[in-house]
Amino acid sequence: MKKNVFAFLVVLMLGWAAYASFFVAPTENTMGVIQRIFYLHMPSAIVAFCAFLTTFVANLLYVFRRQNRWDWLAVSAAEVGLAYITVVLITGPIWAHPVWGIWWTWDARLTSTFVLWLLYVSYLLLRTLIEDPHRRALASAVYGIFAFLDVPLVHMSIRWWRTQHPQPVLMGGPGTGLDPQMKIVLLYSFIALLSLMIFLVRQRYELEALRGEADALRREAEAA
Amino acid sequence: MALLQTTATLFNKELRTELRSRELITTTIVFIVLVVVLFSFTFDPTSTESRRFGPGLLWLAFLFAASLMLQPCFLREQLNDTLSALRMASPDPFAIFLAKLAANTMFLLFTELLMLPVFAVLYNVPVWHVLPSLALVLFAGSVGICVAGTAVAAISAQARMRELLLPLLLLPLLTPVLIASTEATAALLADKPELRMDWVGFLAAFDLVFLTALWLFGEFLLEE
Amino acid sequence: MKNLDSVFAAYMVGWGVFLLYQLTVSRRLTSLRDEIEQLRISLKREK
Repeated sequence: MKKNVFAFLVVLMLGWAAYASFFVAPTENTMGVIQRIFYLHMPSAIVAFCAFLTTFVANLLYVFRRQNRWDWLAVSAAEVGLAYITVVLITGPIWAHPVWGIWWTWDARLTSTFVLWLLYVSYLLLRTLIEDPHRRALASAVYGIFAFLDVPLVHMSIRWWRTQHPQPVLMGGPGTGLDPQMKIVLLYSFIALLSLMIFLVRQRYELEALRGEADALRREAEAA
Repeated sequence: MALLQTTATLFNKELRTELRSRELITTTIVFIVLVVVLFSFTFDPTSTESRRFGPGLLWLAFLFAASLMLQPCFLREQLNDTLSALRMASPDPFAIFLAKLAANTMFLLFTELLMLPVFAVLYNVPVWHVLPSLALVLFAGSVGICVAGTAVAAISAQARMRELLLPLLLLPLLTPVLIASTEATAALLADKPELRMDWVGFLAAFDLVFLTALWLFGEFLLEE
Repeated sequence: MKNLDSVFAAYMVGWGVFLLYQLTVSRRLTSLRDEIEQLRISLKREK
């Protein structure tokens, strides 16, 4: 019951954020209507980062506490984070093409996001390749920790590299004079997408928890 | 310091094992030469083009070679069932990692230095005049490759398809190393050679971060 | 409003990804719940 109410609220918030992105936010001067993708593209990136931060904390907690629920939380947040990153990587080119005439530019932020995507795909792949649940949880937790520690290093190196070999920048950067009306719509979008993330993570977590229960029951059935 | 002593003993073991068969170093050298030669078919290796693409190609070759070279790192122990003996021999599990890391770095560095004259000749890029600085960049980069590589080797040893998994896990982690090393190498091979201490410093920071992470979390990868 | 279709496309794709993900998770959830029910029933029968 509570879950359905939450789901309904999330859909409402998303609807309102979309409406605001299309009708409340003022049109941008240079790029025009296409810029409205920003209200989906940018908050998705931030929410993805929140998801991966959750995975990182869950990884640490698993390593030191060894409770299954941290492993469940880690994989759930990682998968959902990956979904958000995928949205960032798809909306990026959809934005770039009308503006620049090219689908992809090795723009610093987009490139870093791509590497982030690769890192967490590897994390999830690693998990599918280890059968024993404890080994899987521990090995992937350590890899997850390494991956997250790598993230700022990836960002920094790509940014420095790009300042030496400049390319077209996809979004004029955050806070490059955002209209206050735009900032509000951005906040709506962020809150809506964050709530969606929480909803999706809870669903996925429940799936993972049930899996554990199903495995235990299966083993019991085999023993009988 | 007990840690250094154990590490030294284990390091000697790693060296002796490799020197007995020399299979790791020879196969790695042959592989790097192969990659470098194959790359030369993909563009016109005039002096200017080589200086543009050379550093990146070189470091890519090193990365691929390392991905192969690191495979036996923990697999050898698994196959011969010596991992538990190692754990008993050393009270601090970090010594095991440190020893393997030092040995891997040494092997990789050795193959890289051997590779330099081959690269210089095949691609018409003089390297002799910047050799000390180049050696420093090679060292900083190789340490980074091997710290992350040794950790990932321990992680992938626990999974299926470990030969394919190791590069898959390692290469995204090493994007900062690839960028920093390539930039530093390119600056040294330019018309006016310059030792980019900012990139070298960045590599040192990467090495430190991952070494610390290995120190904190490595032991969990050796758990039974 | 020349690029409006691109903006629509982006939002459709974005929501599409989330919807797809939610659908796959809920489908696996229901099938898992069914399986657990089955296992429970068969275990009770054994006893």
